[in-house]
Amino acid sequence: MGTVHARSLEPLPPSGTDFGGLGEEAQFVEVEPEAKQEVLENKDVVVQHVHFDGLGRTKDDIIMYEIGDVFKAKNLIEVMRKSHEAREKLLRLGIFKQVDVLIDTCQGDDALPNGLDVTFEVTFQFSYGTKETSYGLSFFRPQPGHFERSFSANVYKVTGQFPWSSLRETDRGVSAEYSFPIWKTSHTVKWEGVWRELGCLARTASFAVRQESGHSLKSSLSHAMVIDSRNSSILPKRGALLKVNQELAGYTGGDVNFIKEDFELQLNKQLVLDSVFSASLWGGMLVPIGDKPSSIADRFYLGGPTSVRGFSMHSVGPQSEGDYLGGEAYWAGGLHLYTPLPFRPGQGGFGELFRTHFFLNAGNLCNLNYCVPMGVQTGDRICDGVQFGAGIRFL
Amino acid sequence: MSLVAEAFVSQIAAVEPWPENATLYQQLKGEQILLSDNAASLAVQAFLQMCNLPIKVVCRANAEYMSPSGKVPFIHVGNQVVSELGPIVQFVKAKGHSLSDGLDEVQKAEMKAYMELVNNMLLTAELYLQWCDEATVGEITHARYGSPYPWPLNRILAYQKQWEVKRKMKAIGWGNKTLDQVLEDVDQCCQALSQRLGTQPYFFNKQPTELDALVFGHLYTILTTQLTNDELSEKVKNYSNLLAFCRRIEQHYFEDRFKGSLSLRLS
Repeated sequence: MGTVHARSLEPLPPSGTDFGGLGEEAQFVEVEPEAKQEVLENKDVVVQHVHFDGLGRTKDDIIMYEIGDVFKAKNLIEVMRKSHEAREKLLRLGIFKQVDVLIDTCQGDDALPNGLDVTFEVTFQFSYGTKETSYGLSFFRPQPGHFERSFSANVYKVTGQFPWSSLRETDRGVSAEYSFPIWKTSHTVKWEGVWRELGCLARTASFAVRQESGHSLKSSLSHAMVIDSRNSSILPKRGALLKVNQELAGYTGGDVNFIKEDFELQLNKQLVLDSVFSASLWGGMLVPIGDKPSSIADRFYLGGPTSVRGFSMHSVGPQSEGDYLGGEAYWAGGLHLYTPLPFRPGQGGFGELFRTHFFLNAGNLCNLNYCVPMGVQTGDRICDGVQFGAGIRFL
Repeated sequence: MSLVAEAFVSQIAAVEPWPENATLYQQLKGEQILLSDNAASLAVQAFLQMCNLPIKVVCRANAEYMSPSGKVPFIHVGNQVVSELGPIVQFVKAKGHSLSDGLDEVQKAEMKAYMELVNNMLLTAELYLQWCDEATVGEITHARYGSPYPWPLNRILAYQKQWEVKRKMKAIGWGNKTLDQVLEDVDQCCQALSQRLGTQPYFFNKQPTELDALVFGHLYTILTTQLTNDELSEKVKNYSNLLAFCRRIEQHYFEDRFKGSLSLRLS
C-alpha cells in the first residue's frame, strides 16, 4: 500500500471555526498510484501507533483524550476521517498553530501486514498563559426621573497574571450596585460575590505564595463616597478630589472575613505662568476578622509608574523569595508641579495636551503588626531611569 | 522547567542532606481526604519510613492546589517541592537513599511493571468507585470533597472534579465499565500481586522496596476505609498473604501511629 498524505488546511479563520466534512474542505488527498488499483474503502486496517512530533510541554491526558478515537478506526477511510477529526479537535484546543497528519504503513518487527502508523506533527503558537479569557456582562439602569441615581448589575470573569508575586488569579463574580448623590457628594453602595482561584505562575514561586493557592469565596458589602470639585479629571488645574471607600467582607456568606478602608485625596492649585501645583495622598488599611490571615488577593500593593514611581510594578513592601506579597496597611504621597513644555511647542493645539512633570513620591507598605517607616527597605525593587505610565489613577 | 534547569535543580538536591523539617502535605484527614489520595499519601509516608527519613505530615484544605502537579501528596524539602511517589523516589535517590539499588535490571523492570499495574488498575478502580459510582458519590465523595468550602463553592468544586475524573475515565476506556467489572479488575490485580508475593515477607524477598510501599498504601487504605459497601475491601481480604503483608508493614513501620488498627478492623 502506498503512502497517504493529508495536506494541512488553511489556518482557522478569525471569525470562528467552520468545520466542514472531509469532502468539502480538504484540498488534496494524494494516493501514489500503484500497479494495481485497490479499493481502499473496505480494506481492513489496524492503527498500531500514533506518534506526536513537536510535543514538549502539553500534558499527556489532554492529547490522549483528543486522539483516542483514532485507534478505533477499522478501515482506511475511517482512519483518515478520525485523524481529520482529531486534527480539528487539536486545533480547537487553541494551543497549536499548525497540525499536520501523516498516515503510513507500519515498519518494524511488530508491524502487522495491515498496520498503520499515524503521525501528528504539531507546532505551538503560544506556550505562556494567553489562553485566559476575560469577559463581563453589565446591566445598567438609571432611575427614571432621577437620572443621577442608577442601579447596575454585573457578571464577570477576569483572569490576571502578576509576575511580581508569581501569582495567577481568576475571579468569577457577580455584583450589584446602586449609586446616588447626596448634596455635592456621590455615593455608591455595592454587594459583590466573587469566587477567586489563585495559582502559582511559575514552578519557582515562593512557598508563601504557593500556600495561598486554591479557591476562596468572598461576599462583601461596600460603600464608596466621592467628592470631586476639579475642573477636569485628566490634568486638572484646580479643585480637589476626595474618595473614601470601605468594604466589609464575610457576614453575607463566603469564607473571607475582613474590613477594608482606603482613601484618596488630591488637591490642585494653579500658579503663575500656566503651571499647576498638585498634592496627593493615598492610604488604606485591611483588618482581617477572625483568626484566618488575610489573603494575597485582598492586600494592597504599591509601586509602579502610576503609583510610587521609581519602584518596579507593585514591588514595594513585604516579600518572600522575590515574590511581593502585598501589605495590610499603606500610605503614599506625592507632590507635583506641572508646567507647559519648554519653549511651548505646538501651543494652542496639540502641545497643550503635554506637560512637563516634576514630582516627589513617597510611600510605605507594611503588615499591620510590623511597620518600618522611611527610606527604601531591603527588598523593595528600585527602578532606575525612565518610567512611562498610563492609567486612570495617578498618585 | 527546561531540561537544563531540571538537571541543575537535581544537582542542588543531591548536595543538601535531608533536613529535619521535611514536610508532607495532604488534605484534611478527618473530613476531607478521599480514598485514592489517602492511599497515595500513605504510600509516600511508608516509602520515607522505609528509607528512615523523617517527615512531618501537615494537613491543608488546599493541598491539591498547592501541589505543582495538582496531585497529592507533595513534600517540601529545603526549598524544593516534589509531588507524587515516582518523582519523590527519584528525588530521594538523588540525595543518596534508595530501596531498590540491590535489585538487578530484570528485577527493576519487574518492579516498575507491578507499580504500573497498581497505578493503572487499583488506583483507577479507586477513582472509579469514588467518582463514578452514584451511591458513593452521593453519600461520601461530594460531601467530603467540598467540606472545607462555603456554599455554593463546595458544590461547584465537587462537580467540577467529578466531571474531570469522568472525562479521564472515558479517555482511558473505563467510561462504560460497570461496578462489577471494576471489582473484577481489582480482584485480578490482587491475584497478580498475591501470586508475586507468595510466601515472601516483601515483594523482593527480605528488603522492602518502593513497590511494597505503594502496594501497602493502597491495600491498607482500602481495608481500613469505611465506604457505602464492603465489596472493595472484601476483594482484598480474599488473599491472606496480602493481609499478612499489610499487618507486617503496619507493625514494623507504623506501630505507634496506627496501633494495630488493621487487626482490630479485620477481627
